[in-house]
Amino acid sequence: MSEKFIKLLFAPLTFALAFLAPLFAQILDALALSFPIASNLTLAFVVAGAWGLMAQLRGSWIWLK
Amino acid sequence: MAEVAQQPDWDSLSKEQLDAMERKIAAKYMGHFPLGIVLWGFTNTAVWLALWPLVLTGIMPLWLAFPIALFNVTAAYLPSHDAQHSIIAREGQRLRWLNELLGHVSLIPFAAPFRYLRHTHFEHHAHANNPALDPDYDVHAENRFEFFRQSLMRMQPGDEEGQQAYPAALKRIGKEHLVLEALAVRGVYLLVLFAAAWSGYAIEAALLWWVPILLSQVYIRYYLSWKPHHPGQDTGRYQDTSAFRSTLGNLGSSGMQYHIVHHLYPRIPLMQTPAAYRELRPILERQGCDLGKL
Repeated sequence: MSEKFIKLLFAPLTFALAFLAPLFAQILDALALSFPIASNLTLAFVVAGAWGLMAQLRGSWIWLK
Repeated sequence: MAEVAQQPDWDSLSKEQLDAMERKIAAKYMGHFPLGIVLWGFTNTAVWLALWPLVLTGIMPLWLAFPIALFNVTAAYLPSHDAQHSIIAREGQRLRWLNELLGHVSLIPFAAPFRYLRHTHFEHHAHANNPALDPDYDVHAENRFEFFRQSLMRMQPGDEEGQQAYPAALKRIGKEHLVLEALAVRGVYLLVLFAAAWSGYAIEAALLWWVPILLSQVYIRYYLSWKPHHPGQDTGRYQDTSAFRSTLGNLGSSGMQYHIVHHLYPRIPLMQTPAAYRELRPILERQGCDLGKL
């Protein structure tokens, strides 16, 4: 149980969704940027989620290993 | 003139006499209470902690707080480093509690676990530059460019070799329980970042803590590990560390120009290493140390 929690807490995807997504959304808000296709938070979730998924699967945030 | 007359004829001294003089000089710099590093550690953490309410209440702009936080986070490691070596007080001494408190408190901005770093650092001292046993060995790189490239790669979540060096060292010495302490400290750090981000303070958390830690890790690995041990091929008391002249000066390199003194005599306080080096220099030269241009 605790091992699962630790793995989840330190997973790149968790960091992407729990920190990078709100960070990206708040940066867009601070820059007063918005896009017609979706809200800033939704866009941030898509971008951060995709990035985090890549980091999770490849073991690298920068693609290179 | 009198000073010149007091200088021994270094070349006429035997190896045993050089060793004895070296120990005698080093002993002069040990055992004093390092007030400067104690004040540095507690003040640095207090300033960094104060940045949070100042920024979150709008009293201080983030563009001003960011460089201060970067300085605080970068300066957080060295007071704990003196505490790791029990320089403030050894076990059984009256101020031991202060030594341990400084070790823990000074590392708060760096979000790092004190005892985990202490025991892996002891292994680094015991086996500096040994590819199998030095937990900091993975920092070695043939040149500066390669160091920065490797540092980037070491930050990647899939870098198992880099992530296993410290736990493996702790397992060898029977202190693997300290990995739990490391997980707890880093876990709390992540939870604070997440909570701040979802409370609407993601940019503040990024610039007061996350980005400063990322940058300071590279700086600390560069000056405290790579540079003084470069090229990292020699082992042995007088060969595993070298002196160097930094383009950023002694303060800009966190005093690491004199890291060789620290490896020879780990209980000399950081702030005393320049003076100790100047006095030990003629001996170190004859002991075969690489003193660079210092």
